Amino acid sequence: MKKIILLLGFLSIIITSCEKDDYCLKNPVTPNLILRFYDDSNRKTLKSVEELYVWSTGKDSIFSNVKSDSIYLPLNSNTNKTVYHLSNGSSVDTFTISYTPEEEFVSRSCGFKINFQEVSFSSDTFWIKDFTPSSLTTIDSQNAAHVQIYH
Amino acid sequence: MFKYIISICFLFFVVEGQAQEQQDELNIDSKTDSIIYKTAYGLRLGVDISKPIVAQFNNTYSGFELVGDYRLSKTFYAAIEMGFEEETTFEDYTNSTSEGNYIRLGFNFNAYKNWLDMNNEIFIGYRYGFSLFNQTLNSHTPNVNTSYFPANTISTPITTKNLNAHWSELVVGFRAETFKNFFVTVSGSYKILMYVKEPENFKSLYAPGFNRIFESGTGFGFNYTLTYLIPFQKK
Repeated sequence: MKKIILLLGFLSIIITSCEKDDYCLKNPVTPNLILRFYDDSNRKTLKSVEELYVWSTGKDSIFSNVKSDSIYLPLNSNTNKTVYHLSNGSSVDTFTISYTPEEEFVSRSCGFKINFQEVSFSSDTFWIKDFTPSSLTTIDSQNAAHVQIYH
Repeated sequence: MFKYIISICFLFFVVEGQAQEQQDELNIDSKTDSIIYKTAYGLRLGVDISKPIVAQFNNTYSGFELVGDYRLSKTFYAAIEMGFEEETTFEDYTNSTSEGNYIRLGFNFNAYKNWLDMNNEIFIGYRYGFSLFNQTLNSHTPNVNTSYFPANTISTPITTKNLNAHWSELVVGFRAETFKNFFVTVSGSYKILMYVKEPENFKSLYAPGFNRIFESGTGFGFNYTLTYLIPFQKK
């Protein structure tokens, strides 16, 4: 009898457990670039941009008239360079990010992510007074801000 | 599903049969049965017909499996299965094909007490499985989760050769003798992966003989086989 119960239990496992077992819960898989805005005169305090507009050359705005001290921007995985135009409402600075995209396998459901290696930043200085750092070895997560911008 | 229900009914029938038998023994305890029913011992060979049937309905799969077992004692059988499988796995961001050969070795224990000279089985068994395969990443799209800069699908195939997998599996099945020496078997198996060689910067998603490799390193299998017994002797 015990054997039969065991057998039935075993069969029920087989019948019920053949379902998809992994969903991609990681979000985002490919990291975005995180920018934080600080006060140029007091570099430890965050300072929101009152009227922020962000767009990439030839594309629609990602941010349009937002008040924020922190933004994240996707990077183009098909090229070695992404150019963003950042505007504080009155003047426009061009912020350029150069990198080498590299694929890394994550999981069955998430597929491949892109890590950005040997990243370097450059910018105009109309309203952005300064930024740090000027380069990063890799952007492989977005747990912390990548670039501090002083304005 | 019906297959399981029918099988479960069959099990309860077995329980009653055994109870009846014990009562008979109590009534005629002084007489011993002089007739000994002999059953055949020998090599049983056959094919898994579920794989060609699945291949008919699913054009991204093909497979073939030969099975065999040899009766060692009244209830123990040494078992072997070997075959070839090719399967294409479609995921949200990847498309890959695995193809290769496999072999499974082990034994079955027949837990069913037959009436007279019947040769049916409800068996449980253990197998060690080994598979040698190649996996090709046909195409993939990096998961960039943005529509601002959509990623291009990369369709340059990347093949990794000489991958291998080792696993253990538990088998439960039902076997019935439909004609003399001709058997039909339905069995299911639960597999636990012991080792799999992963391609560089990718994963073995399917191993021939093992089926889909789940995230937890487990897998499931199903067999429907037709076998023929070549009897060597009767015991």
